[in-house]
Amino acid sequence: MPKPGRFSLRRSAAVAGRVLAQIRRDRRTLGMLLVIPAIVMLIFGFALGGQVSNVPILVDNQDAGFSATVGTAGVSLHVGSQILASLQTNSAVSVTLGSYTAGKASVDSGAYFAAILIPSNFSQTVFMRAQGHNVTASLQVYIDGTKPSIAAGVLGALQDAVQNSSRIKGFSLVQQYANGGVKFSGLDVSLPSVTAFVLTFLVLLISLLTVSRETTSGTLPRLYTTPLTAIERLLGYTLSLLVVGMMMVVVVFVVGIGLFGAVVRGDLLLLFAAAVLYALSQVLLAVFLSNFARNEFQAVQLAPLIAFPSMALSGMLVPVSSLPAWIQPLCRLIPMYYANQLFEGIMLKGYGLGPLAFDFAIVVVMAVLFLVLAMSTVKDRIDA
Amino acid sequence: MIETENLVKVFKEGKIRAVDGLTISIKKGEIYALIGANGSGKTTTVNMMTGALAPTAGRITVLGVEMPRQRHLVSARIGVAPQEYSLYTDLTLEQNAWFFARLYGMNSQDFRRRFSELNEILRLGGREHSLVSNLSGGMKRRASIECALLHEPDVVFFDEATVGIDPVLRAFLWDYFRTLRSSGLTILLTSHVMDEAGKADRIGLVRAGKLVDEGEPEALMSRHNVRSIEEVFLKLSGREVSDA
Repeated sequence: MPKPGRFSLRRSAAVAGRVLAQIRRDRRTLGMLLVIPAIVMLIFGFALGGQVSNVPILVDNQDAGFSATVGTAGVSLHVGSQILASLQTNSAVSVTLGSYTAGKASVDSGAYFAAILIPSNFSQTVFMRAQGHNVTASLQVYIDGTKPSIAAGVLGALQDAVQNSSRIKGFSLVQQYANGGVKFSGLDVSLPSVTAFVLTFLVLLISLLTVSRETTSGTLPRLYTTPLTAIERLLGYTLSLLVVGMMMVVVVFVVGIGLFGAVVRGDLLLLFAAAVLYALSQVLLAVFLSNFARNEFQAVQLAPLIAFPSMALSGMLVPVSSLPAWIQPLCRLIPMYYANQLFEGIMLKGYGLGPLAFDFAIVVVMAVLFLVLAMSTVKDRIDA
Repeated sequence: MIETENLVKVFKEGKIRAVDGLTISIKKGEIYALIGANGSGKTTTVNMMTGALAPTAGRITVLGVEMPRQRHLVSARIGVAPQEYSLYTDLTLEQNAWFFARLYGMNSQDFRRRFSELNEILRLGGREHSLVSNLSGGMKRRASIECALLHEPDVVFFDEATVGIDPVLRAFLWDYFRTLRSSGLTILLTSHVMDEAGKADRIGLVRAGKLVDEGEPEALMSRHNVRSIEEVFLKLSGREVSDA
């Protein structure tokens, strides 16, 4: 028997055994402890294992080609067509042909990631450069700067196409950034998705803990005996947690914009409205999920179960368009995907309500769906 | 006022028959004590009577209304002090009381009057702004009773609500219960403290979810030819050790 006052490994072992017995007793927790890491690893593995692929770009090939006689030999150059053909076979991009002017507008609206203009004299300039003239063959690229990894992928594909086609030197890309020509810093492009993640994880966590505390504190059975209906209780939780969510939104923006100077090109009020609407959808999701948590431990585990897959699949780490094709439809089911679209659209692209109406609508639909699910699963008496 | 007919509750987990064919009838203005060992089905019965738990079979009416189906019609007229304190320990006594008062539709003025009145009766004066977590066990119990009585209900359910309260205050509380009864309040209380149950107008003894005997304390003692309710209980329970 260990002596009182002296360190005893047996007593520590007793505590460890008791904790493990409690975990083993709570089968739902035990399941989650094993399932969550597996799910997170699978999602991150699949999601992050891919490369940039099928990025939609528009190419306007105006190159007329060039024919000349060098010595006694006739030379005919069609570099624009070669570049186009090379891009079309590159899996990193998905090429649509069209007018550069219209393409720029489409890049601004998010339909294409880049618009590329191959000018009419491109082959001629390439020829003249090869003949020793001091000229530079230039391609114009109008590119979305909000996703540096995709931008790098598109520009890389273009560089490869040019090199493969003509092996020219002295070639230049005239880059212009979309959405007002702002070149964003790494922080600028990260903050919209970081904001979405903070709201997803923290609002979910706080909401789940708050609601499940009612169950563990033993006050819920008493509430069942009062005139308070289940729906009134649910609405009460939602209103209070929405206030908490709004406070988080304010803190996130004060720090992000005030301290780090994050770019907000759009309307600040619209951004706040989007954040509050998204926070509301997460509160309602938490209220719904908390109907299934029997204690705070189980509730806490639900937050990462939602937040980590959201991080991997919402476009936060890797743009959705560069995820494996079969995962992409799944991304559209994740609320944080739409939060990213909204925050990125307002903060970086300066969008108003019009271009974001669809994303706003989806968040509203999701909020209503979570509300209906919460209402249909909320308990109004002891479950036994 | 409170009636049950062949009330049965079988819990899903373990198929435990917690209440097994219980039939009770409690009149208006009566103090009825449901006594039995721990695990005999008292709390389950109260939970079904208050509408918090659905019965497996049988029928319950409270204030003429079927429970739990029509609970919403009478929930504002009943008060419940559960076995667990069932209070928000991170809020003050006053915040707890005001929360429950609002659920019962009280206005601020009525609440102030009732709260101060009950604080006096339950000896909670001066602790209004104390966190419930900082109150003693007995005080928490009284705070729970206070929240059950704030809205001046017609029926109250005290589930082991006087356990842990010191004998002097308990005697005082019983005087108060009798005053409430004389104004028409019906009280159902559960207890495993036998001498306390002897103060009720009628007693129902439950064992394994069944009503094994019922009557006025004197009548019960006389029927079983013993001198205390505890002896009645021991006789009827066969001196079995409870499963508590």
